[in-house]
Amino acid sequence: MATLTVPASKAGAPRVLKSRAAGKLLLLALLAAVLAPWAAGHWPGATWPHALTVHLDKPLAAASDWVMDNRDSHPLFLYFFGYVSNAVIWAVRVVYLTLLAAGWAGVTAFAALLAWRVAGVRLAAGTATAFLACGALGMWVPTMQTLALMVVAVLASVAVGALLGLGAGLSDRLDRALRPVLDTMQVLPAFAYLLPVVLVFGIGVPAAVLATVVYAAPPMARLTALGLRRADPEVLEAVESLGATRRQRLLTARIPLARKELLLGLNQTIMMALSMAVIASVIGAGGLGDRVYQALASVDVGAALAAGIPIVLLAVVLDRVTAAAGDGGTRPRTVGWPYALAVTAAVALATRLLGALDWPAGGTLDIAGPVNRAVDWMTAHLYSGVPVVGGTADWAAHFTTWVLDPVRDGLQWLPWWSVLLIVAALAWLIGTWRTALTAVLAMAAIGVLGVWEPTLDTLSQVLAAVAVTLVLGFATGIAAARSDRVDRALRPVLDVFQTMPQFVYLIPVVALFGVGRAPAVAAAVVYALPAVVRITAQGLRQVDQAALESARSLGATGRQQLWQVQLPLARRSLLLAVNQGVVLVLAVVIIGGLVGGGALGYDVAFGLAQGDLATGLVAGAAIVCLGLMLDRVTQPTGRRPGKGA
Amino acid sequence: MTLTVPTRKPPTTAADPVFSVSGLWKVFGPKPERVPADPELAALSPADLRSRTGCTAAVRDVSFDVRKGEVFVVMGLSGSGKSTLVRCLTRLIEPTAGTISIDGEDVRAMDRGRLRELRRHRAAMVFQHFGLLPHRTVLDNVAYGLEIQGVGRSERRERAAEFIAKVGLEGMEKRRPGQLSGGQRQRVGLARALAVDPEVLLFDEPFSALDPLIRRDMQDEVTRLHREEGRTMVFITHDLAEALKLGDRIALMRDGRVVQLGTPEEIVGNPADDYVREFVRDVPREQVMTVGTAMRPASADELGSGPAVRPEATVAEAIEAVARSGAPARVMDEGRCLGVVDHEQLLGVVAGVDAAATGEARTAVADTDAPAAADDAPAAAAGRRTAGPAPVPGEAAPAGRGPATSPGPRTTPEAV
Repeated sequence: MATLTVPASKAGAPRVLKSRAAGKLLLLALLAAVLAPWAAGHWPGATWPHALTVHLDKPLAAASDWVMDNRDSHPLFLYFFGYVSNAVIWAVRVVYLTLLAAGWAGVTAFAALLAWRVAGVRLAAGTATAFLACGALGMWVPTMQTLALMVVAVLASVAVGALLGLGAGLSDRLDRALRPVLDTMQVLPAFAYLLPVVLVFGIGVPAAVLATVVYAAPPMARLTALGLRRADPEVLEAVESLGATRRQRLLTARIPLARKELLLGLNQTIMMALSMAVIASVIGAGGLGDRVYQALASVDVGAALAAGIPIVLLAVVLDRVTAAAGDGGTRPRTVGWPYALAVTAAVALATRLLGALDWPAGGTLDIAGPVNRAVDWMTAHLYSGVPVVGGTADWAAHFTTWVLDPVRDGLQWLPWWSVLLIVAALAWLIGTWRTALTAVLAMAAIGVLGVWEPTLDTLSQVLAAVAVTLVLGFATGIAAARSDRVDRALRPVLDVFQTMPQFVYLIPVVALFGVGRAPAVAAAVVYALPAVVRITAQGLRQVDQAALESARSLGATGRQQLWQVQLPLARRSLLLAVNQGVVLVLAVVIIGGLVGGGALGYDVAFGLAQGDLATGLVAGAAIVCLGLMLDRVTQPTGRRPGKGA
Repeated sequence: MTLTVPTRKPPTTAADPVFSVSGLWKVFGPKPERVPADPELAALSPADLRSRTGCTAAVRDVSFDVRKGEVFVVMGLSGSGKSTLVRCLTRLIEPTAGTISIDGEDVRAMDRGRLRELRRHRAAMVFQHFGLLPHRTVLDNVAYGLEIQGVGRSERRERAAEFIAKVGLEGMEKRRPGQLSGGQRQRVGLARALAVDPEVLLFDEPFSALDPLIRRDMQDEVTRLHREEGRTMVFITHDLAEALKLGDRIALMRDGRVVQLGTPEEIVGNPADDYVREFVRDVPREQVMTVGTAMRPASADELGSGPAVRPEATVAEAIEAVARSGAPARVMDEGRCLGVVDHEQLLGVVAGVDAAATGEARTAVADTDAPAAADDAPAAAAGRRTAGPAPVPGEAAPAGRGPATSPGPRTTPEAV
């Protein structure tokens, strides 16, 4: 036995680990040896057996019809959803009219003063520039529509999230109950939230706002609870030792101590609300997202870009200003609130008196035309036939033929029970038997729902995108971790990319690759890459310096340091990067259904467009299951931090 | 180890205790109340208790009184239960068994409102890591206790400013804790506790997180405050030097029990067991022991001459006096000579071979006549503390009194 010559202390841990992994696999293999022949004998064929499918189309269609028929008569709608719906419409309209009444000058002035107040002069200038750019692109009114929807949705999300977070922060039981729900909600693609709200509220602004609230409230709840729980116990003890009542302790100590987390929660909620408000254009949100959606539907890249740029500007400004409010503690006082409001009112009155409330008609810059000409030129010259390198459309076609098709066909060729087995093995090796069980059940539920084939199609796109993302992301992350110069150069790029809503990524890929599955994968890669790079680089940089130094003192080369010290010690971060990569890729691959990605995303979009909610809901449920399965399969044991940033 | 023990204050007379603790237990774990109730479980060692019941007894059957105006030090290594003990006093941690009373009032019987009153007005605490509110200015941190009590804004700020000046932080009122050094932060913590004008100040290892030099400053600050205001203090520390420097009496804890309770001199001069002996081994004894302990009866011709020292003077001071004059020093109290110390006694203290140091030495020297005075050191010390002015020189060390009957130094928890 050669292993016996290895010192016991060194061999102990890995061998135990190895034997445990082997044990798990052996157990699974035994289980498979018994069950697989039986299953294969009963239900032969590669695809999910028909006998095990439950058709939900009919009942779902009936439910949808019932809702349609009773929306104006049933008390539940009349006295509850009706009020909610009306309140949302009323609130959005009030904000929208206020924004319009303030005029472009008033809104820009107020936004700049607000930014100045909480984040300093530079961001104030940036904010003003961003708003003026929105106007100059001819997108003032859609920007205000999106902003109005966002204001209402963010206020509601913060209220709901803060209340839930307060409850979870103060009560252990509520925390235990809420945490898995919030964890799961955080990994689900935005698209999955759309259909249930449409079922109840129909397509329109109320559905869009409520979907946004459901999507954006969890980070606020999470971070509020975290902030309240993370308060320095000695400070709380000191407060108690002075004889504070519960109320006093909450108001004077716990909430102020959680300030940083609360503001981070606000930041994340705003960013997620923007992301969702844009996607919700699919269910009637209007505004900037709707312009992008319409333009993409007719492959009008110029118009999509004209609406996409304001979205990006809005995202960057909102993120920077709220983030600066979060970490600023000792900034000198600049303008007080009364001044800011007074200046805004004055500017708004002045523009009203001058009759210049609307953006000046001659002041818009038409970029759609030039952009479309550029895209046409690209289509003519870059799509294909470029000597040696080929063209972008050629790449897309090759990628589809050589990667996506084989992966999809391979997955669909695999017998259904072996897919379940693979899922179980992966999830169990990385996580616990609980996560493995959840993953297998989620995957089986997809089969039961009768969408096995399209799900495997989506899965093949996810796998291809994740593979590309991880190769690029790990390489870039390692480079950024090892060179300060690369890190400095990457940081602003990553910052901007991480703040952009998912929807925006579809614009450039459509310009470059046309429509189809490959562009959807490309968008997913671009969207997920920043998070993977950042987590990898951070993980490698946070590796214990003492361990690295001792390796260096023993004369390890750079490569040895990387492979023998940094990467093994950063294992957790790398697993987290994989997990985040998978979750983010899935979100965009689903949205890719809008640009020809097909599969589940297309089913949802089709269901919405055709009013066929049953198809959409089944696909939505499958997306939820797929998201759950992918998350559990890649989930290292222990907690994960928030999504993306 | 350098120790600068100030000249000991006159002994505190037996006044009514501020805090009176008896049979106090704090057990963590499942069903903790069964441990103190069951004599068999109560007698188990910490490891056995853990394996038998899954419980950890942080405080085990502790009894002591804190007298008015004294600095009562609880000292022990980490994990000895001292921090838990001090938190039990105001029920920041709920005790498992035993009684605590403050000025005769049962603390454990208090309802929420009464307990809040206790914390607001009668006992204030200073914490190891300061426990300041980072989002408030120094002024508002110091005023926080008053704010909790509902004192008006201007009044509480005025009073806070007064205490900020008292701890030497004038001009820093507008800063935030994050902008202060560790020592300054602890001054804020001290001012916050003082601002509510508490009857007792509780210190939980207040200076452990500070640099040595700053720590000495802060210790001097506490000594000064105690001298000026005479406030009762309960002081938790793991630092023996700090305990000896500040404490009027010290309770030494180990594994949740008080293994010895006494004056610094008693702890150093007469350790109750091997653990304590090991603990105090490196203490410079001449800076803790007083001449009152080390003296022998004066012979007739020594009564009239030689340098005079007070009985609470340290041996180190007497060494200097004896070295300068070359003659034995007289221990004088209010014009009476209680005894003398010469080279022999003083060297004995420094070398640690006096009777109080080891049991064997004690019995050995009891047979011979010469070091009889050293033999009676404990008795003398006890007399000094409890019986008021010692009698005339000849009777200061009653000849026949053996160590077995000496009441003083071996003060055990049960005895208090």
